[in-house]
Amino acid sequence: MTFTARARATGLAPELSKAPGFPTIALAGVTKRYRGGVGIEDVTLEVPSGEVFGFLGPNGAGKTTTIRLLLDLIRPDAGRISLFGLDARRDSVAIRRRVGYLPGDLALYERLTARELLTHFSHLRGGPPWASVASLADRFELELDRPIRSLSKGNRQKVGLVQALMGDPELLILDEPTSGLDPLVQQQVHQVIRETASDGRTVFLSSHVLSEVGRIADRVGLIRQGQVMAVKRVDELRGRPVHLVDVRFADDPPSGVLTGVPGVGRVEERGHDVHLELTGSFDPLVHELARHRVADLSIREPDLEELFLSFYEGDDVQA
Amino acid sequence: MSRRDNHPATLHSVFERTFHEERRALTGWVAGLVALAITMLALYPTIRGNTQFSKLFESYPEAFRSMFGVSDYTSGPGYLRAEVFSLMGPLLLSVFSILWGSDLTAGEEQRRTIDVLMANPVSRHRVVLEKWAAMLVGTAVAAASLWLTLLVGDPLVQLHLGVAALSAAVLASWLVATVFGTIALAVGAATGRRGLARGLGALAAVVAYLLSSLAEVVRWLEPVRPISPWYHALGVDPLGGGFQALHLLVLLAIIIIAAAGAVVAFDRRDLGT
Repeated sequence: MTFTARARATGLAPELSKAPGFPTIALAGVTKRYRGGVGIEDVTLEVPSGEVFGFLGPNGAGKTTTIRLLLDLIRPDAGRISLFGLDARRDSVAIRRRVGYLPGDLALYERLTARELLTHFSHLRGGPPWASVASLADRFELELDRPIRSLSKGNRQKVGLVQALMGDPELLILDEPTSGLDPLVQQQVHQVIRETASDGRTVFLSSHVLSEVGRIADRVGLIRQGQVMAVKRVDELRGRPVHLVDVRFADDPPSGVLTGVPGVGRVEERGHDVHLELTGSFDPLVHELARHRVADLSIREPDLEELFLSFYEGDDVQA
Repeated sequence: MSRRDNHPATLHSVFERTFHEERRALTGWVAGLVALAITMLALYPTIRGNTQFSKLFESYPEAFRSMFGVSDYTSGPGYLRAEVFSLMGPLLLSVFSILWGSDLTAGEEQRRTIDVLMANPVSRHRVVLEKWAAMLVGTAVAAASLWLTLLVGDPLVQLHLGVAALSAAVLASWLVATVFGTIALAVGAATGRRGLARGLGALAAVVAYLLSSLAEVVRWLEPVRPISPWYHALGVDPLGGGFQALHLLVLLAIIIIAAAGAVVAFDRRDLGT
């Protein structure tokens, strides 16, 4: 039985993974409702092979719901979900053979040691050799022979990562992989994600911290209250020439003085202070300012969070 | 074989892991059942041939005697029927089976380990069936410990049971325990709630027991008695009557139906919600 399992695993994967044209993840109009609340509503999303996709949103926005739908732990009320071009429900076992998953709310078998748990899962996965599992464990400096119940949160998370990474899955699904971890382990996690990506494998990563997602993802999807509000390339977010400008006038400025200047958007006036967002050339703004007495002027580049918000609030939204 | 040798530990299948996690509890239940059997064996010499006891129970109303299985109390089979097989033995096995059965899938859901488990390429029905098999084997080990203790003790205290009668009674006890354990599994698989699974499993066991034993004395209950698994297991006196294929088949059928229900229900649900 172990041999047939392995034969199936190695026999199937190459054929299926070479099937061209299928995005690694595809959700089409997917809705999942829970009693007494929204799960996700009409979510359409595609993640091509080889991409690191960051799924961003506050807690309770529907990130975990989406991820658990991908793994067939829960079933959608409407819509279609496929991975590698296979049906999420009908072909779930074949899909899961090619996916590594780290749950957000990670729970492990407390009575087992890490070694027992990893042996068990590697067997269920049809056989990454123990040597490769052990080298992963080494890398995270995992203590294999202590019962899991005696491990710290960080060490449990490492066990979760090793079980997700074992056997080099084509798709890695990580639900809030770094939440609650110390910075050193966070670095390790980011490193692993980068390596996975550079192997040409796909990573689907959820987080409620944009700066984290921005550092490692190729694209970011924003989900709020069960709806995907926007999907943007990170370099597109960064590449957009936007600056945040704070002006302090020496005198009371005439109301609306900077509104309507070409490139100026999102103006906020507060006494002598005016905050605005400038897109494109500085020239029209500088000319306008030159007609007034300016006490202080600061210009800075927005961080990713503010960039995303400017897309989000500026109607520049695509689903 | 060679690939197995790459792994230092021996946990492989869901079956093995389920069994491994429960091994301490199983050891405890085995110890309890053996202790029960030894106690009953040790007490028998004071009862064997004791006419006082015979007279005492003869003075009780017929209804009482049949309900508590104390007719023929001073003979070996009569004594064991009253002390072990009318209630304690099958009850302990049933409690063990219900506790384990209710925890098989619902426990994984409530402890939220279902996510990492089902991320592996195993189908839901395989998970249910392997876990169920672990419970069947574990309960069988517990039942076998009772069987073995009584088998060894029989000649020592001259119970004069006979291997066949003893085996039939233990088999019936194991089957009836498995009925309620599998019902608990099915409720847990259908709802994800371990407490509910325990409660309904225990309720089924109590109702079945009451129905079977009350029907001995309450005439209008007699027609509905065959719906009680307890009746098919122990109400038909396996210790006196030996193996009774038809009744054993009824128990087997209930077990298979409940297990099939567990598989189907678990396959259709949202897990861990």
